[in-house]
Amino acid sequence: MAENKHVHRLSAKELRAIAKENSKTIKHYEKLKKRKYIPESEYVTEMKDEKNVLEVENLHTYFFTDVGVVKAVNNVSFNIPQGATVGIVGESGCGKSVTSLSIMGLVQGPTGQVVDGEIRFKTEVLKTDENGKYIPVYELDENGEKIVESVRVDKKTGAEIVQYKQKRDETGAFVFEKEPKVYNLVKAPKSEMSKIRGREVAMIFQEPMTSLNPVFTIGQQLDEVYLLHNPGVTKEGAKARTYEMLKLVGIIPENVYTRYPHELSGGMRQRVVIAMALTCNPRLIIGDEPTTALDVTIQAQILELLRDIKTKINGSIVLITHDLGVIAEMADYVVVMYAGKVIETGTVMEIFKNPLHPYTIGLQKSKPVINQSKERLYSIPGNVPNPIEMPTHCYFKDRCDRACDKCSGEYPGYVQVSPTHKVACYLYNEEAKHEHE
Amino acid sequence: MVKYIAKRLLLCLLVLFGVSVIIYCLVLLMPTDFVDQKFASQIAQGAMDKQAIQEMKEKYALADKSFAGIFNGYFNWLGGVCTGDLGRSFKYDAPVTTVIVENMGISFGISFVALVLQFAIAIPLGIKAACNQYGKTDYIVTILTMMGISLPTFFLAALLVQVFAINLGWFPVNGLVTANLPTDTSAFMRFLDELWHLVLPMTTLVILSIGGLMRHTRTNMLEVLNADYIRTARAKGLSERTVVYKHAFKNTMIPIVTMTAGIIPSLFGGAMITETVFGIPGIGKMAYDALKIGDVPFVMGYNMFLAILTVLGTLLSDLMYMVVDPRVKLTK
Repeated sequence: MAENKHVHRLSAKELRAIAKENSKTIKHYEKLKKRKYIPESEYVTEMKDEKNVLEVENLHTYFFTDVGVVKAVNNVSFNIPQGATVGIVGESGCGKSVTSLSIMGLVQGPTGQVVDGEIRFKTEVLKTDENGKYIPVYELDENGEKIVESVRVDKKTGAEIVQYKQKRDETGAFVFEKEPKVYNLVKAPKSEMSKIRGREVAMIFQEPMTSLNPVFTIGQQLDEVYLLHNPGVTKEGAKARTYEMLKLVGIIPENVYTRYPHELSGGMRQRVVIAMALTCNPRLIIGDEPTTALDVTIQAQILELLRDIKTKINGSIVLITHDLGVIAEMADYVVVMYAGKVIETGTVMEIFKNPLHPYTIGLQKSKPVINQSKERLYSIPGNVPNPIEMPTHCYFKDRCDRACDKCSGEYPGYVQVSPTHKVACYLYNEEAKHEHE
Repeated sequence: MVKYIAKRLLLCLLVLFGVSVIIYCLVLLMPTDFVDQKFASQIAQGAMDKQAIQEMKEKYALADKSFAGIFNGYFNWLGGVCTGDLGRSFKYDAPVTTVIVENMGISFGISFVALVLQFAIAIPLGIKAACNQYGKTDYIVTILTMMGISLPTFFLAALLVQVFAINLGWFPVNGLVTANLPTDTSAFMRFLDELWHLVLPMTTLVILSIGGLMRHTRTNMLEVLNADYIRTARAKGLSERTVVYKHAFKNTMIPIVTMTAGIIPSLFGGAMITETVFGIPGIGKMAYDALKIGDVPFVMGYNMFLAILTVLGTLLSDLMYMVVDPRVKLTK
């Protein structure tokens, strides 16, 4: 039991001190979130690079637990270009899922809090007039005039109120004027977040077996999303949309619309979850291990489906997985995470052809390869360090087979290997310099 | 479905048989019996001799306390039950069935209103507490309801009587009707009068039972709120209100609805202690008095009545599962 040596039993006094500190910090962040009115200037920002749809910068998401602060996501930055698929890899507990939940604003409070950083997201919001009302788009006739729908006389003033015909899309949803905006999702108020969630950013969760509500039918659960984000849509319109989505993911809608989740197989349920995520044509889809719970044949189908859909709706995908095969097949860019930090990023070619960080190399080696006979698959020795008392040196040092004296120093900074390839390791500090010289 | 119910009902008969054997033995094993108690003063004064007592006991079929006697007595009773005759109550001097049927109405009324109020109060409190877990609301609600649960019935009843009936004089101390009510009072006024008498007993019942239901709701809600499908609902962009009151609520209600279905039949059984303390002539009080004096047929009849209600309650709650939870199907 070598691990037990590190386990330090906390005294009652220490525990109390932690609890006190935690409740103070949590209160601070909860108070910030619970404010009635949050001015727009706090959460509307600009993108650093217009080509990106999402920029995560210096994200810190901490969990204030009874035994100490868990820095689940500790200074993570990455970009997601428009139309690209970005894979986030790393072993269990390295902060992949928490990163995605931070983007969605779904970190389980009050223990979990996004402490610092920015998540800039390019979104499209409904334009509001000076009274805070949405500006409708009206149907125009051939002369470019608004079509009068009804005329009503106000009883008090006697003035005529003319109701123009508002434009509706094919499902019957009212059309309003929209404007592009960039939101900082960390600071955005709840009301704005719930408008973005499901409509602009959608998430596919890990466990298809438990991600659907057992007491509502598939139809009810799918219709709900479309009805919620498209005011004015009729039930029939939503149903039509649901049918369309179910067909898109390869399910015969008539068979499942009135079914309950437990009547479907795992693969079917995962398809339903994907259909749900796609209903509102989101510009960003976050797949949190969408294929982990499925068997290999279904996995291939689901991945194929995701790729298809991405081109159809021209969205971007964040794919979280620990399956390097999936990454190689799907991703354009790869972010490798270890213990809450990004240790290497690059294009998929760079990461697979030229992995630099010893951890990335280890990951590659521990992947089975067809046509190669090996006695034993490689496994990276040791475990992820205890998340509560993280060392100040490189987190991977104790497991690294190429660690040098320098590694005991402070946490390594990033080394830019190519315009797209970055790595946080001392090994390349020197090499990179040499190359320059 | 029909087959399932028939099977369950047959099983119920077996359970009831076992219950009746146990109750009968227990009742007859009580140290004194009806005759001893009823004629206690006559015996003390010497007005009745042992001979007369023995004759009396034979009349009431209480004389033979041997195993064979109890065995005989039990099968006599069982034979009666099979023909629909629960025997004649010693104390109330009327058929047991009549006594039960005539008095269960008021008991049911009190318990039912108390149940409705209990639900209307406990469930929203439970949800509020769950949504603010370890927050101020949670602690306040939990502490208050726990206080309610921890009080013994008779103590809380006495406390309410002391404060609201004696000190403040808002409600009557006990009974069901005002003693000197004019004879020409309309039926509606009589009803209001009864209601006025029932405020304190109902309050007692509600305060006592809120805690349990509130804890139950809170625990269920917390469990549901941590489920993956609630995260999905949030990810859809639903407001916190819709998430809690639509997606979580329906799941939380599954165990509560079934539990309630199990409770409803037992409401006819009456609240023994509350009714006794407030002197309400419901079936609970009648059973209490009968038990004190050793009224074998009534105690047997009443307990069998309770057993039937309980058994029906479990059956009903199992059937309710099928109604509220789409995952449950009753086959076999």
